[in-house]
Amino acid sequence: MSMSAGSTVARHGLGAIGAFAFLALWELAARWVWRDVQVLPAPTQAIAIAWNHLTPSELAGHVGISLMRVAVGFTMAAALGITLGVAGSWYAWIGRLCRPVIDLLRPIPPLAWIPIAIVWFGLGEGSKWFVIFLGAFFPIFSNAYRGMDSVSPILLRAARTMDVDGVALLVRVALPAALPDIATGLRVGFGLAFGILIAAELIAADSGMGYLVMQSRQIGELGVAVFGILLIGVVSLVSDLALAAGLRHLLGRSAQI
Amino acid sequence: MTRRARGLSGGQWIAQYASPTLVIIALLALWEVAASVGWLRPILFPPPSRLARSLYELATDGYPEGVTLWVHFGITMQRILTGYAGALALAVPLGLVIGCVPLLDRLTVPVVAFSRSVATLSLLPLAIVWFGTGEGSKMFLIGYGCFWVMLSNVVAAVQQVDPLLIRAAHSMDTGRLGIFTRVLLPAALPRMFAGARVSLGVGFMVIVGAEMIGTIKGLGALIMEARTFYRNDITMVGMALLGVIGMLIAVMLQRIEAWLLPWQSRERR
Repeated sequence: MSMSAGSTVARHGLGAIGAFAFLALWELAARWVWRDVQVLPAPTQAIAIAWNHLTPSELAGHVGISLMRVAVGFTMAAALGITLGVAGSWYAWIGRLCRPVIDLLRPIPPLAWIPIAIVWFGLGEGSKWFVIFLGAFFPIFSNAYRGMDSVSPILLRAARTMDVDGVALLVRVALPAALPDIATGLRVGFGLAFGILIAAELIAADSGMGYLVMQSRQIGELGVAVFGILLIGVVSLVSDLALAAGLRHLLGRSAQI
Repeated sequence: MTRRARGLSGGQWIAQYASPTLVIIALLALWEVAASVGWLRPILFPPPSRLARSLYELATDGYPEGVTLWVHFGITMQRILTGYAGALALAVPLGLVIGCVPLLDRLTVPVVAFSRSVATLSLLPLAIVWFGTGEGSKMFLIGYGCFWVMLSNVVAAVQQVDPLLIRAAHSMDTGRLGIFTRVLLPAALPRMFAGARVSLGVGFMVIVGAEMIGTIKGLGALIMEARTFYRNDITMVGMALLGVIGMLIAVMLQRIEAWLLPWQSRERR
């Protein structure tokens, strides 16, 4: 993975050129070829239109509430997923009880829970938290479970010979060894959580970035939708990178995330 | 999968099949009892016996009237497979080209990463403007979701081919085309297949959301439509059917992979 500073700069530089070329092409195609803001708004037009329709505080509100929803659902999923995954692998009877249920529910796509979540929790925040929770839960659980299962038995035996056993063995030996897998699960789960949030907000919400995109249809401004799409992409990319950086900080530099 | 192939001892058999089945049966029984005693409101949690009747109703009369289970199932599968096939047809050749030309890869990395992180369903308003509310927009959304995942996996697959293999082929005077078709492609195939699997999973997720808007056919539409009319039993049956499709897809892909890449599954054993 080691790379000289020069080549890193060159890589990012080329990437920036590519991204710029893409945006420029889009801009030109929209302004000179299509010439219809209601079919293909150029990036600059989209930003201008969004600026006319939204105040900065409204915008911050939409981003804020979306992030809040992801944070709540994802935190619940992380807490329960890691707990059940670790406990289910460490204590065989817990695994035998919860694995079948989880294996049975896992193939149901998270978005398919939206209607029933609305029935159970109403149209408010609860149903969104629940759907995001479900989406993030399964990968977090499976990775935690697999991570614990693949902890080297030699490591555990070595610890036992040094009189580390029971909860201490779990917390001080097995859990740290499983952390990289748990971190992978968290990242996969987070990515899913974001996609599901947007879907939930498109289908039933009166706020958030997904709602912002959907609302463009009512006000008849496709530019707002394009702005919203780009905004969602940026916010999800940035928060994913932040999560990765946080996990790397937590796990030390050795971890490859 | 591999354990099953090896044959199981009695204890393993219990652990793998008998005990999960028992847990599920116990849970269903508990649910049934809880609903009939009144701990769970049957309108919110229709008991399993009710769901079985709803499944029968859905298979014979259909919901909405006349649109049976098989129609919903067929339409959903058709949408997934067309969108997916289109995405693969574009992503594989493009990914191979990008993977083989490092300069192209460096230029496209940020655009690909960003396009992947765009939530597919947020493109819905654009899809409706470009392709209308019919089949076109659904296929576009599924295709979009599958395409970027597949593309980045194909690029990674080509890049991760051991350079030693290529140098070895060079030293044996294999031509450029020979290296591509007989060395690079086979070596990249397993990773590409993994990408194809993830990508189909994405398509399967997107379809449900895409079907919730602007249609009454398809399983996604079914569960949304049933909720609007307080037929939560139908909603839950629809969710279960989606789960079955999910499982079928997973098994199907495993089979295809074992058939296409026999060396891969042998290695894993």
